[in-house]
Amino acid sequence: MMESWTQNPLQNGMPDDAAESAQSRQSSNAAGDVVLSVQGVSKKFCRSLKRSLFYGIQDIGAELLGLRREADTLRYNEFWALNQVNFKLRRGEAIGLIGANGSGKTTLLRIISGLIKPDQGVVYVRGKVAPLIALGAGFSPILSGKENIYANLSILGLSKRQIDQRFDQVVEFAEIGEAIEAPVYSYSSGMAARLGFACAVHTDPDILLIDEVLAVGDVKFIAKCHRRLHQLRQNGTAFVLVAHNPQAILSMCPQAVYLQKGHVVATGNAEAVMAKYEADLFLGSAARAIGILKLPPKPAAESTGLDITGVCFRSPRGELLETLTTGESVRLCIQFVAHQEFDRVNLRVSMMELARDGMPDLYLGGSNDKQEFHVTPGTHEVQIEMPYLGLAAGNYMMRIDVRNDALFVLEIVDNFRFTVQCNGRMSKSAFYQPRRWKLLSRSLAPPTDSGFDLDSLTSHSDHQYSNHHHSDRYHSGRNGHGISV
Amino acid sequence: MGAMGRDLLAARELAWRLLVRDIRSQYRQSLLGVFWAFVPPIATAVGLTLANNAEVLNIGETDLPYPAYVMLSMTLWQTFAESLTGQVQAVTNAKYLLSRINFPREALVLSQLGQVGFNFLIKLVLIGALFLWFKMPVGWTAIVAPVALLHLVSFGTGIGLLLAPFGGLYEDISKGLGLFLTAWLFVTPVLYPLPQSGLFAALVRLNPVTPLLMTTRELATIGTVSDPSAFWIASLIALLVLLLGWLVHRVAMPFMIERISA
Repeated sequence: MMESWTQNPLQNGMPDDAAESAQSRQSSNAAGDVVLSVQGVSKKFCRSLKRSLFYGIQDIGAELLGLRREADTLRYNEFWALNQVNFKLRRGEAIGLIGANGSGKTTLLRIISGLIKPDQGVVYVRGKVAPLIALGAGFSPILSGKENIYANLSILGLSKRQIDQRFDQVVEFAEIGEAIEAPVYSYSSGMAARLGFACAVHTDPDILLIDEVLAVGDVKFIAKCHRRLHQLRQNGTAFVLVAHNPQAILSMCPQAVYLQKGHVVATGNAEAVMAKYEADLFLGSAARAIGILKLPPKPAAESTGLDITGVCFRSPRGELLETLTTGESVRLCIQFVAHQEFDRVNLRVSMMELARDGMPDLYLGGSNDKQEFHVTPGTHEVQIEMPYLGLAAGNYMMRIDVRNDALFVLEIVDNFRFTVQCNGRMSKSAFYQPRRWKLLSRSLAPPTDSGFDLDSLTSHSDHQYSNHHHSDRYHSGRNGHGISV
Repeated sequence: MGAMGRDLLAARELAWRLLVRDIRSQYRQSLLGVFWAFVPPIATAVGLTLANNAEVLNIGETDLPYPAYVMLSMTLWQTFAESLTGQVQAVTNAKYLLSRINFPREALVLSQLGQVGFNFLIKLVLIGALFLWFKMPVGWTAIVAPVALLHLVSFGTGIGLLLAPFGGLYEDISKGLGLFLTAWLFVTPVLYPLPQSGLFAALVRLNPVTPLLMTTRELATIGTVSDPSAFWIASLIALLVLLLGWLVHRVAMPFMIERISA
């Protein structure tokens, strides 16, 4: 971390710090409260490690000899990891970076934190940048928690006096307690992560870079982290948040930048950007007929003896379904060809909404269901009947694992995508519950007193199904019959 | 240049923290602790003295008792070697940290120098014991011996700094370093006195470590410097190498970090 620095790769020779900070001050004054300004930033990366190292040596040589590096042309095997990225961040603002893996989000964070120089463009930073990227980096397992706090906070740029001041806060935040004098190797992974997080958020940064690390520790600690981040935000810290999960960004950032292969595809209002991102995620594979997958036969060398040839959904009457509807009855059909005999073929099917991490939304395990098939050479179709589709509306990705016995994987298909439509009866829920509503009623003997009497309700145990007050109004349906929805 | 100095100053507190961290964790993990600092020179001295006495080796006359000569020279050589490899190792060990947190890299350099100094202080105990044991006289020139030692360390650090960024990129550097230093040890008058004639003698004399190490040794013991001009030339080389190394280190590190984090 540095107080006020800039980077300018186009400038040759040794950078003149004084001039740079003056420039940085100027630019920030001109733009008001802008703490971070990324202007036309591009970065090249190389796909081959060997070549990348060689280019590294080349760049060092060019820089040392004061030669102008060819910053705007790609060398063999290189590609643009970032291409002309622009955005601004003001004091106390939060911006989310979203994009698929390898779209350049982390590279951008690294450039902002000053770890690597951009090949083109400039990054102006005003104030202290703290990366919440490497939690507990530099922790030595041998040393006590206390010694590690001092070392870690020093690395993060605090002076001894500043560390002394906030030492107690860090310990309290990390909930380490007595163990602070014990060596870090004796800590549980949760404790170490908490300590790392506690150090990182107590550096009073002007800009905090967060790279999908908020999932440390238990739920209670995560809540505490969020509270701390909120507090920092109130105090004027600007955030740059990177996540795959649109939800995490939507909940924290009013603005977002959507990166795709190093290009900024959309920027601005977070919800609009997320909508674009989700749409693209789905459209990315729209070239193929959605909901129906046909696979060409595999060459013999690649086959393990059993190949999936097609995946589709059918209605109970056998019609092909391109899109599914929540709550309807469907049949998942998986066609495969077997070139030899297998004893205990079982399938594992998992379905996950696109752009979501973690557990699949639905997992159908053949081995869990004790469904193993004896397969002879020939073509086969496994059908899985689902009387009610429980998935909510959305775009899904399916992965199918075919195994013989528990471990021997015969075939994996993981690019089957399908869409589930809303049935109009499901909202505010994550899955569809097939259900049946009932109202059971019995009419009361005429009331003795005036109107409704609570005592009479509790004293008559046989009235437990009735709702005296409203029974008349709700008798529109056939009394005693359930209505299946 | 101004920026280099400022960064160095800014890094000193972090350097101290890193030094304390490294030394503490190093000694906390070791049962024998400082013992390891003494073993190599003693073991070398014992082995070579035995070989010398048995006339397996034919080592010429030294200006000090041979075991003391070997132990003292070995200690100095080790300090030189440590200051060289230390810089390369520091970068290799801190790869993870370097690729994730932007902290002043000078802190690594300074902390490594601190370690060299710390290890030398421990070895000083051994040297003190040596002087007592062999009843060697200590002249007033011993006070200026640290200056010569400083030049020796600067030379080692300079080469280390030159190699460090490349060592971060290619493992070959750290692998080859041991071999390279062993070869270098043999062309330095550590285990034997300065040879007087022949091709080998010329090679030993061309080695910049020779005058630096010999002068340190002479100042600490006999008090007369045998070849002051060679010492000053070597010192100038050391200073230039140090400056060059520092410059290369500064310029090359961001490129190295970019490549290891990619």
